Amino acid sequence: MRILDLATKDLLQIFRDKKSFLFLAAMPIIFTLFMGFAYNSGEDGAEDDARISVAWVDEADNQFSELLFERLDENTALSLVDMEEASAMDALARGDMLGVLIIPSAFGEQAEGTSALGQITLVTDTLSTEGQSLYQLLRVPVSQLASAVEIGTLTADVIGDSAEFSPAFTLALEEWDEHQSRSLVRTEKAVAQEEESWFGDNPYNQASPGIVVQFAIIGLITSAQILVEERKNRTLQRLMSTAMRTWEIVAGHILAMFTLAFLQIALLVLFGQWVLDVNYLHAPLATLLISAALGIWVASMGLLIGVVAKSDDQVILFSMVAMFFFSALGGTWFPLDVSAGGFAAFGRLMPSYAAMNGLQNILIRGLGLASIWQPVAILMIYALGFFMLALWRFRKIGV
Amino acid sequence: MNAIEVKNLKKSFGDLQAVDSVNFAAAQGEILSLLGPNGAGKSTAISMLAGLLVPDGGSATLMGHSVTADPQAAKASLGVVPQDIALYPDLSARENLVFWGKMYGLRGAALNQRVDKVLEIIGLSERQKDRIGKFSGGMKRRVNIGAALLHKPDVVIMDEPTVGIDPQSRRHILDNVKALNKQGMTVLYTTHYMEEAAELSDHIAIMDQGKVIAFGTHAELIKLVGEQTRIDLTLNTESTVIFDAWRNTQGVSRIDAENGTVTLLVDDSNLVLPRLFEAAAQANVRITSVDIQEPNLESVFLHLTGRALRD
Repeated sequence: MRILDLATKDLLQIFRDKKSFLFLAAMPIIFTLFMGFAYNSGEDGAEDDARISVAWVDEADNQFSELLFERLDENTALSLVDMEEASAMDALARGDMLGVLIIPSAFGEQAEGTSALGQITLVTDTLSTEGQSLYQLLRVPVSQLASAVEIGTLTADVIGDSAEFSPAFTLALEEWDEHQSRSLVRTEKAVAQEEESWFGDNPYNQASPGIVVQFAIIGLITSAQILVEERKNRTLQRLMSTAMRTWEIVAGHILAMFTLAFLQIALLVLFGQWVLDVNYLHAPLATLLISAALGIWVASMGLLIGVVAKSDDQVILFSMVAMFFFSALGGTWFPLDVSAGGFAAFGRLMPSYAAMNGLQNILIRGLGLASIWQPVAILMIYALGFFMLALWRFRKIGV
Repeated sequence: MNAIEVKNLKKSFGDLQAVDSVNFAAAQGEILSLLGPNGAGKSTAISMLAGLLVPDGGSATLMGHSVTADPQAAKASLGVVPQDIALYPDLSARENLVFWGKMYGLRGAALNQRVDKVLEIIGLSERQKDRIGKFSGGMKRRVNIGAALLHKPDVVIMDEPTVGIDPQSRRHILDNVKALNKQGMTVLYTTHYMEEAAELSDHIAIMDQGKVIAFGTHAELIKLVGEQTRIDLTLNTESTVIFDAWRNTQGVSRIDAENGTVTLLVDDSNLVLPRLFEAAAQANVRITSVDIQEPNLESVFLHLTGRALRD
């Protein structure tokens, strides 16, 4: 019971300190938004459209030009942009377009009766690879459309009824489509496999857990200061003169540190879930366990800092050093997968990496409870190590 | 059974023997003062009694419980008032007392009643909701004492509780100590103010350089210097000639010079004082002030150590 009383007193002191709100809530939320924005901006710039851009200048605007547009648009290697001729030519000159396809106003006018579809014009650099590719991409659909017109015209002539043009034309086009699907050789756009973004489909999948881990460490500034203050103003000495045992005092302080860290983690997780659409609740139990393990590790480190530091300034210094060290090495700012080999290998040994890995197993890789046991075990091993060091130091320095 | 019993207690820090085979005891309901200059070993001795330091040797018991073999039982009977203000400045007086009451095992209605009572004892009921950080030094000292009284301990250790406070708060604290003692609490009081030791104590242990150099009641200690009177003289100049002359003057048993003041222990001031003035005139030294004091603890300390009981 006295352990709870001591922890409650610590938390009361922390929440009365105005700077606690800054470190525990305001700063991590602002930084989460900032980092997510930064990651997102970087990814937007990296996106490239590998399709061949063609300006579509349709002066005919009839069923034949529409049919041609549809057939060309189905081709994944082409990007058709409807434009006026003048602006199309400007875009071509600027290099924004690789070609301009001009459909004349007479296109298809004489189709029924003469079987003449009319000539279309492709303006492009025929010597360039892109220009030649574009010509090849256009040639087949245009030929298919022309042959369907031819078939429709011939059918109408043979039967002697112009009304037979349309069914025969449509049937011919369908046959071409069918023929294309039965073809022994099918062409597809050959592009390099698109690299999946390292934060999945949401930049906050990196920013949110990164800030959770980073600010859980910075939060030590407030909780470790309580222990340092207790040593400085001799209240720790007074506590030791009561019937409270040493382990109870240590337990009370570490309980307060854990509670504070866990509350902060929970706040940031819920903020990520509800505001930033980061799907922590995809595996709620796994998120809870990794958060608790992170909180325990951070509390143990806070106890060590609180025992080692001699002043508030030293608490801030040690907490900042711990934050920079574990954040950078643990992949909270950027994933270790994009880091150099030696750096990444060393970073993967860090408890902060275990926390990040566990959270990203849930967020990016869509895994569940089974994926977080190893990260939780690593965090607990580190927590035990820091706790034993703190306890040893606590007994050594006495009061 | 003595409430406090210390036998051959020892503690050293490196080469410094802070407490050297110290013995003293206090019966239940007594006030025992440890009197001595700063660095005499008083705080080290009470730190061992409070279980904050482990003795190198000897034994200490509180209400029959060994502070080393059965520390929890010993601590349960003890309230400690540290020399420093060991309180949380960002909590109110009441919040501090409630917290310390819980640490001493109090709960619920009993805790609240006891906090109310202690606030009344220390005279801060009106200011109980104010944060300690806003209090004056004297008020902080009073809360510092109150926190040690919440669980009605059998023994209260007070380590220099009046250091650096105004006369009014000092008076309040001394009256509180007497009132607590009347209620049956045994008080171990450390101080380097001889007037406080003289006013409060049933027994006094005079400490110097880690040792108890005298132990007894106020009257017993005064007897150590017999009927000797203490004379403090201030001179217009420092002169070894006059010191030698006075040292050899009939009726002077001890002479000590410190910070421009010469302190002498003499058998009969009426007889000796004219001789001192005569010797000063012969040495061409002028006496600028004379202070004659009846025998007191200061005289005892001077008699025993050859030094004044000053900081």
